[in-house]
Amino acid sequence: MVKLRNTFRAAFHGHPVAIVGLLGVIFFILLAIFGPLFAPQNPYDQAKLDILDGLLPPMSKLGDGTISFMGTDALGRDILSGVIYGLRISLFVAFTAVFFGSIIGVFLGLIAAVKRGWMETVIMRAVDLKISFPGVLLALMLLAIFGSGVDKVIYALIIGTWASKARLVRAVALSEMKKEYMDFARIAGLSQIHIITRFLLPNSISPVLVVLPMSISGAIGAEATLSFLGVGVPITEPSLGLLIANGNDYLLSGKWWISIFPGLVLVAMVLCINVVADRLRDHANPFLHVKE
Amino acid sequence: MLVSVENLTVKYRLSDGSNFNALKDLSLEINRGQIVGIVGESGAGKSTIGKVALGLLDENAVIGSGNIRLDNDDLTLFSEPDFENIRGKKIGYIYQNPMTALNPVLTIGEQLIETIHTHTNKTGQAARRFAVELLEQVEILDAEERLSKYPHQLSGGLCQRIVFAIAICSKPDLIIADEPTTALDVTVQKAVLDTFKRLVQTENIAVILITHDMGVVAEMCDYIYVLRNGLLVEHGVTQNILKSPKEIYSRELMAAIPSVDKKLERFMVPGTIQKSEGRDRALKFLNRKLDETYLERTSPILSVSNLSKTFVSPATMLSSQKIFKAVDSVSFDIFKGETLGIVGESGSGKSTVGRMILGLHSPDQKTDGDSEITYKDINLLGLKSQDERLTFCDSMQCIFQDPYSSLNPRMSAGENIIFAVKVRDSIPRSKAWELAEDLMELVGLPRSAVEKMPHAFSGGERQRIGIARALSFRPEFMFCDEPTSALDVTVQAELLNLIQDLQKALGLTLIFVSHDLAVVRQMCDRVLVMKSGQVVEAGTTEKVFNSPDNIYTKGLLASMPRFKF
Amino acid sequence: MLSFTLKRLGQSSVLVLIMSVLVFFCMYVVSDPVAVLASDDFTEEDLIVLARELGVDKPIVVQYYQFISKLLQGDFGISFVYNQPVLPLILERLPATLEVAILAIMIGLCVGVPMGIYSGLNRKKKVTKAISFITTVGYSIPNFWQALLLIIVFAVWLKIVPASGRGDTTVLFGVGWSFFNLDGLRHMLLPAVNLAIYKICMQTRLARSGTQEVMFQDYITFARAKGLPRHRIIRRHLLRNILIPIVTITGLELGGLIAFSTVTESVFSWPGIGKLLIDSIHHADRPVVVAYLILITLMFVIINFIVDIVYAVLDPRIRHTQ
Repeated sequence: MVKLRNTFRAAFHGHPVAIVGLLGVIFFILLAIFGPLFAPQNPYDQAKLDILDGLLPPMSKLGDGTISFMGTDALGRDILSGVIYGLRISLFVAFTAVFFGSIIGVFLGLIAAVKRGWMETVIMRAVDLKISFPGVLLALMLLAIFGSGVDKVIYALIIGTWASKARLVRAVALSEMKKEYMDFARIAGLSQIHIITRFLLPNSISPVLVVLPMSISGAIGAEATLSFLGVGVPITEPSLGLLIANGNDYLLSGKWWISIFPGLVLVAMVLCINVVADRLRDHANPFLHVKE
Repeated sequence: MLVSVENLTVKYRLSDGSNFNALKDLSLEINRGQIVGIVGESGAGKSTIGKVALGLLDENAVIGSGNIRLDNDDLTLFSEPDFENIRGKKIGYIYQNPMTALNPVLTIGEQLIETIHTHTNKTGQAARRFAVELLEQVEILDAEERLSKYPHQLSGGLCQRIVFAIAICSKPDLIIADEPTTALDVTVQKAVLDTFKRLVQTENIAVILITHDMGVVAEMCDYIYVLRNGLLVEHGVTQNILKSPKEIYSRELMAAIPSVDKKLERFMVPGTIQKSEGRDRALKFLNRKLDETYLERTSPILSVSNLSKTFVSPATMLSSQKIFKAVDSVSFDIFKGETLGIVGESGSGKSTVGRMILGLHSPDQKTDGDSEITYKDINLLGLKSQDERLTFCDSMQCIFQDPYSSLNPRMSAGENIIFAVKVRDSIPRSKAWELAEDLMELVGLPRSAVEKMPHAFSGGERQRIGIARALSFRPEFMFCDEPTSALDVTVQAELLNLIQDLQKALGLTLIFVSHDLAVVRQMCDRVLVMKSGQVVEAGTTEKVFNSPDNIYTKGLLASMPRFKF
Repeated sequence: MLSFTLKRLGQSSVLVLIMSVLVFFCMYVVSDPVAVLASDDFTEEDLIVLARELGVDKPIVVQYYQFISKLLQGDFGISFVYNQPVLPLILERLPATLEVAILAIMIGLCVGVPMGIYSGLNRKKKVTKAISFITTVGYSIPNFWQALLLIIVFAVWLKIVPASGRGDTTVLFGVGWSFFNLDGLRHMLLPAVNLAIYKICMQTRLARSGTQEVMFQDYITFARAKGLPRHRIIRRHLLRNILIPIVTITGLELGGLIAFSTVTESVFSWPGIGKLLIDSIHHADRPVVVAYLILITLMFVIINFIVDIVYAVLDPRIRHTQ
């Protein structure tokens, strides 16, 4: 833990933009977790909705006296509340997909590096096949065939992320295995399990950690795109992408707030994560000449 | 005087705000046609001098004070365009690693001819002819053909000659050669250096030869400067410095250099290990050997016969199957308490033999007679299960070559030392940590350092930790695979002293592998000389070094640059 | 080199085969054409007759065989929605997608690569930091939102270009192209820019990191040391080395482009294969989706194959077998 704190401090020191990004990420995560406590309205609660509140611009007063900061949609749902709940879905889907996808990827990458032989060939061909196919398109195909839904989106995105992690881990693991401390482990008679878990895995995992933020922002964007196209999350659990799609029809008639606010939040969140991801990646691969 | 450096100070600004002093108040002189050596260990600042002269310092380098003059021009005041005028023209540069100095996607012809275009007014066919001439000057055969080759298609020695050709194409006044032969094999090194010396003497080019290899300095340089941590320690005519150095550091440096011609009892360098409780405890623990039943016998402790290893790289889509015979029918015996040396150049198979003995590779199945590895009268190759092997083999351990990859970077020093032995239940867990601390003391490191991570230690210190780790298994047999090749000369001397002391105290049997004949001379009782997987000569150290039978051995010994004592 | 090519070809064919098997089995598992096509008043007998007609009463392997043989003849089935053969339907819309994609790639390369090289060479300058931030922003805005913004700003507020549709085309070699037609070009502009923004950001980042990596190498230092002027170093040594990753990744990114074109075409109502796909998904037009899948796989496999060959040609280290 101390090491993690020091790494963070070293990576972010002197980079104000990245620090702002990091604060933004923390803010959005907290908002997603605790948001519903503060949301003016629960947009899923049908009883509270009043269609007379529909399509009101931002800062209007609703029928029950509360102020709608971001306006309302056609059914009278407060956009701000929708955004908070939508944020939860977007983040939940992305984090879950990347988490499981990474575990699968790391596991397969290690197997490919350690076992070699036909297992490696099969895994790496599958990785090549997957990587050459853009994630969004693949997810689109899968959802087209198997139908949409939050769980199916997560599965589709898991299939979208595992391959790059597998490729990374295999490459690092292969080079780590050539190192002499691995020779020592073998000579010393350590079991393969020990060698993989205590010697290989800890030393192969850092590149994956470096790409994780980028993966997460990619997953958020992918899910948003899929939902926007109508093949992602269902209407009952709208993510930010779906909210934007809902408001699309009203754009040209001047009721911009239904699409724009979810869009701004989406962009802001992805931007913050990407800024942090860039900083972490630059920190891990310095092209600066630093004397040791 | 061609080059004069006066009180030059160069600092590097580090990312954490502190400064690293690369050169402190350095003064030196070089005359036309003189070959001057700048010698020192790592961190001495030798490369920095070359970079200052060419304006190739890193961005975070600052010239603190002093100046460096080339023919009355003060280079510290030069701007980038001024440097572009002298680079290649007045000052040539030879880089350490020829394979990385050349652009892999351009042919060597293109890289040579572009230099010709820059510095001369030859173009087209004239430039090409000149390129061929240059290659012939550096003694490359089939020069015309080679022009269309890419760097990766040529050997290291050949590439370095091409780098020479590029450096001399404009007949510069000065060439800065930064460790020009460090990356090359010993025999190649000699040929390349001979060519180099002939060239610069014919063309009357001054040379700054930067190196850590004293042998090279002895053979090439007229005058040397000894640097340590950025400071000038001593300077003088080569013979004087080598034979009778005045300063303490220079004396230590010279004392640390192993000699090919004579075996010393011990390197006269400081750094003996203090007596302590922990050290004694460790010694007692280690002397209680695993296997009490094996007493002094007349048969050898390790006997290897008819070992071969062929590596087959599978056919990929880019190349056909490659068969490489790394080891070819090697046999030898080694007796308890002996040190057997294995020398050879890279690719001779010396490491592979050891890796087979340790069980990392399995030898080829032979049709003509059996391969055997007999350790303490048990044929290891005949053992069926891994467990059986482990029972006998815990007393066989290894010291590795690369201090930067031989320790697990995510474990502390102490964990590195006892992790394996703890997992194998070879010692009780409660005693493990104390053992780690004792072993640290035994190898000359402070007890308290057990908690530190590997990256906090220097190369020599990491090698010591590696030794402690090997000792944790209470070995009787140690395979030392070039343990000091990556270390500075003084550090090497300390480590070799340590290994010798441990051997005496614990009755260890060693196989010592090295490409450095001088080191082998100092450490080993008997020697095997390997070439292309075969043992070409074997015998006592005295015999092999003083009167070798085999032509290859003779050539190897002749190639070693040495002092003339 | 020949064996390399042949081996690659073989592998590619196997990939396509596997894809076709996967696609087929997915469709088989998920949908039952009988249930889709049958109306409510069908009797048991009618269902059996329909099954026989569609060929779904035969064993699965036979069905697959029929599927493949039809495919190889170019018969991808009939679209449920358009009631036309699927292959011509897709091919008819292909030029629209291709020309937008190609324009986007060209814009991406011409703008992105120089910017990236500049950023890589001048790491400390403020301009570089600005470019870096802008590309990160451009990279973070989801494709569809960029499209929406572009429409709002350029079509609705500024009214310079139309918001959707393809406009007129000029017929060349029997195919209609928007590129050579002024009205078509006006319609093409926003979709192309939409795709290009992402491309520009990627190319800039790629060129920048490639440049930084190359400039760090020993052979660049050596080139400086031997006195080569800076411009020659950049032109010869730098460009030749970063060309390799740029070309290969651009080729591979073509796939991403096709993927994002589905979004772009949907938002701009651009009649390409992407829009066809989305519409078909929404209308459950299975034959079109299946055909798209297979054609796209084929296209990726061909692209990857070409990229591998080009990579071997450009990098002499790969080319030479020792």
